[in-house]
Amino acid sequence: MITPDRAGDDPVEAYLDAVLSNSPGTPRQVRRTLAEVEAHLADSVRDLQAGGLPPAEARAEAVRRMGAPVAAVDRPWPAGSLRLPRPVRRRLVLAMLQIGGLAGLFLGVAGAIAAAIQAIWGSTAIATAFPPGSYSQADCRRWLAAYPHSHGCVAAMISDHAFDFQRNAAAAGVLGVLLLLARHWLRRRWPGLPTATESLVGAGLAALCTLVFAATGFDAATVTRGQGVGQPVSLALAAGCAAVLLAGAARRSAGRPFWSRRA
Amino acid sequence: MKGDLLRGHLDALLLAALATGPTHGYGVIGRMRHTSDGELELAEGTVYPALHRLEQDGLLSCTAELSQGRRRRVYALTEDGERALAQHRAEWHRFSSVVTRMLMAATA
Repeated sequence: MITPDRAGDDPVEAYLDAVLSNSPGTPRQVRRTLAEVEAHLADSVRDLQAGGLPPAEARAEAVRRMGAPVAAVDRPWPAGSLRLPRPVRRRLVLAMLQIGGLAGLFLGVAGAIAAAIQAIWGSTAIATAFPPGSYSQADCRRWLAAYPHSHGCVAAMISDHAFDFQRNAAAAGVLGVLLLLARHWLRRRWPGLPTATESLVGAGLAALCTLVFAATGFDAATVTRGQGVGQPVSLALAAGCAAVLLAGAARRSAGRPFWSRRA
Repeated sequence: MKGDLLRGHLDALLLAALATGPTHGYGVIGRMRHTSDGELELAEGTVYPALHRLEQDGLLSCTAELSQGRRRRVYALTEDGERALAQHRAEWHRFSSVVTRMLMAATA
């Protein structure tokens, strides 16, 4: 047994101090390593004394056998390795699936909002026409064939553009749902990873998108007198919803007691 | 046998030491020393980061047990760990037979 006044001279105590001060991990990792190393040294000293070494020599020999204190601590990023540690890789995958999935899902929502705007104000609220001279007669024939009840080539072209936007938004929505399902499945397979940061980053990105699309919508409303304003407005509304939901998720996660913040 | 020679093989040696049953870090060292007849000169502290990494990779599982008044972390091979050990054994067998052939051919 080492008394506090002798601790400074004791190799075991000095070794444990060095392990503690060289540990770069989380508090839990550090406590775990220290507990394991301390138990290891206690066993080693006991066996060496049982083998005939005096107590002081047994303690010094046990420490010598451990090697450098820095070799006993976990390195979050192994020296010479460009490969990310597995928990970091998994968090990145989950974060990309979360942000990409929500982006796709809310693009789908934007498509639904655009469909509602189109139903009320018509296709010109969603899409604009190409400049005159930038399309051919063949293009016109194709658009009129797809929208035979349109009043001329320009109206058919705008209907086609509005349909394209809604089709692409619906495809993004389906893809988003698939990505979120994949994330849900992976989260069940990879328990114990924190998620609050990802939600906060996603909320920030969604808020930024809200501002950009709102500004684009305002620009469209003033420059084109409302033509095509439905696209940026629907995107801004969907991004705003995503920002609020993600901020709520981040806040709920951060508001939990610190020991239950993991997924 | 110096620890430098073990570089790159520590994971396989740890998995092999745990193949006979679960034990804690000191027990792993004891098994390695016993099996090698004291030939391995391994800095014992290096075992812990390697055990933690193998646990993170899903090759080992870890449970806490109370032993002689101390809370000990006991490691055991998982199914993935058993598969990894079998793979290490096969690779080592191929590698050692090639090196042996080459070294012996040089003296023949």
